[in-house]
This record gives sequence, structure tokens and C-alpha cells, in this order.
Amino acid sequence: MTEEAVFPDQIVDGKNKTNVRCQFCNSLMLKAQEGSYNEQEVDVPLMMQKQDRTAEDLNTESLKHFWLVKDMMTFENIGFSHSVNGKKFLVCADCERGPVGYHDLTTQHCFLALKRVLHKDS
Amino acid sequence: MAKTYDYLFKLLLIGDSGVGKTCILFRFSEDAFNTTFISTIGIDFKIRTIELDNKKIKLQIWDTAGQERFRTITTAYYRGAMGIMLVYDITQEKSFENIKNWIRNIEENASADVEKMLLGNKCELTDKRQVSKERGEQLAIEYGIKFMETSAKASINVEEAFLTLASDIKAKTEKRMEANNPPKGGHQLKPMDSRTKDSWLSRCSLL
Repeated sequence: MTEEAVFPDQIVDGKNKTNVRCQFCNSLMLKAQEGSYNEQEVDVPLMMQKQDRTAEDLNTESLKHFWLVKDMMTFENIGFSHSVNGKKFLVCADCERGPVGYHDLTTQHCFLALKRVLHKDS
Repeated sequence: MAKTYDYLFKLLLIGDSGVGKTCILFRFSEDAFNTTFISTIGIDFKIRTIELDNKKIKLQIWDTAGQERFRTITTAYYRGAMGIMLVYDITQEKSFENIKNWIRNIEENASADVEKMLLGNKCELTDKRQVSKERGEQLAIEYGIKFMETSAKASINVEEAFLTLASDIKAKTEKRMEANNPPKGGHQLKPMDSRTKDSWLSRCSLL
């Protein structure tokens, strides 16, 4: 994961300074300069869920900082979950862990959460 | 915004349930109290980027999302598909016999020039083998398509198979473009096979 304190260092001219990678397997998700910094408040399911939760009761956390990717084909490697309430969740294409963000089915825009990925070139 | 790639190919994985089309490996431990959100909802498709002969190719790879349980896949799923991986399990005779039905289904629903390839998966399970490699090869020859035995689990030939399929689609696409647009002047010789070797697709997942 990337600590919130260093988010400002990752943004250059409103874009991601470095490549964006999976925090678990280092898979290259997005190349440098391909995402636009975007702030919004969205509840995104946690990567791990309590087994005893009910379907309506997802464990989520509120995320605020995203890389906006307007065309999904801009990604180098990424996976899309099945749709849930107008969204698809983004996962690592290699280790399939996630969600690392979401895809809005109405706008077709993708949002990759800074907190759930790594920012490094190699 | 300018496109950052040369080609975009939509690929499908088709075959009976349980042949390992989506052999998903969660490498972090799931304890008794936790489960993953993603394993519950499942994955629809993936985007992969590869490079062949200095061309950047985006692959959009779709799994059948369980539609194969109904032994048929709708036309909508095939729409725009340029390549299809037909997958059977070498330890399940039935899944091999059903390849013929899948090919019929493709002929009825997919575009006529879709590039196909046959994969005999789970080739690491030698003691349980029911379908010989020769039978796989024979069937592929019958349909005029390429064949490979793969192991998603042991990372054998999976990446190779996708590169082969992508390379064949690329060759077909370029041939068509050339036919529409004959090059002026002499021909340029290109290196035959300058594939880049990345480690994607080599995990325990056919996707």
C-alpha cells in the first residue's frame, strides 16, 4: 500500500509520476502519466471480509484519492470483477487480489485507489 | 488522447466447466474468519499488454462466466471476438469429446474468421491422463488449428499459448491490411519472432 502522507509526492501535473504496481506481486497495472489525480469519497469493499457478514453488510472503507483512467485499455494489466450495483471492481491481473479500485458502468471511467497500490517504476 | 497501443484483440476461453479455465490461486492465506470479496463475486475479464515484433498489443480476455454449464454460449458473448482458446482437461475424456460441440457452437455464433486454438489443460496430472497428446494433436489437425498441452497450475505453456494465438491474429490482421493497402516500393524483411518474455499469464490461472 501507499501511505497517505506521501500521496502529494506521487502527483506531477495532476498525473501519476511513476508506474503503478500491485502491492502483492508487483504486476505493472498502469504506466506513469496515464492516470489523472481525482478526489472523491467512495466506499470500497475491503480486500478481506469477515466470514460471518451478511450479503448487505459488506466491510468497506471510505477511500478518497484515486487515479482516474478514462479508457480501460490504457491499463497495462488489470482485471475486472463481475458487476455489482453499477460497478465492476478492479483487481490485479496476476494475483487477482483486490479491489484496488472500481469501474463505473455509466461513465465507463476507472478509478484506481492510491492507497491500495504501489507507486514505483520497477 | 492518442492510442498507446497498436492492436486490440478480444480473446475468449471456451470449454466445459472444471477444465481449469479459471484456476484461481489465492496465494495469501484465508483463515476461518475471513474470505476475500473478489473470490465471492468473481472476475469477468482481464486486460493484458504484450509486445510482438515491436507492436504493442492489448488483449482483452474473457472467461465464459459459467455460461458453459448450459452447454451453449450466446452470440452476444462471441461478438467482436478475434481469438478463441478451446480448453479441455486431459484427465476428463468427456471434456475432450465436447470440443466438437464447442466448435459447432463457435461456427454458429462467432465470426467466420475467428482464430482458434486447442488447449489440453492440466498436463501436470500424468497419472490421471485419459486423453493422449496424440489425440489432441489429431483433433487440432482435423480442424486446421494449433494445439498445445498446458498446465495452468505448473505454468507450462500458458503464456506461450496466448502469445501464439495473439501472433496468429496479428499476422492475419496485417495480411488483411496489406491486401487493402498494398505497400509502395519494396518489401521489408522483418525479424521472425521477436517476442518479449514477461512472466504474465504464468500463474495458476488461464486468464
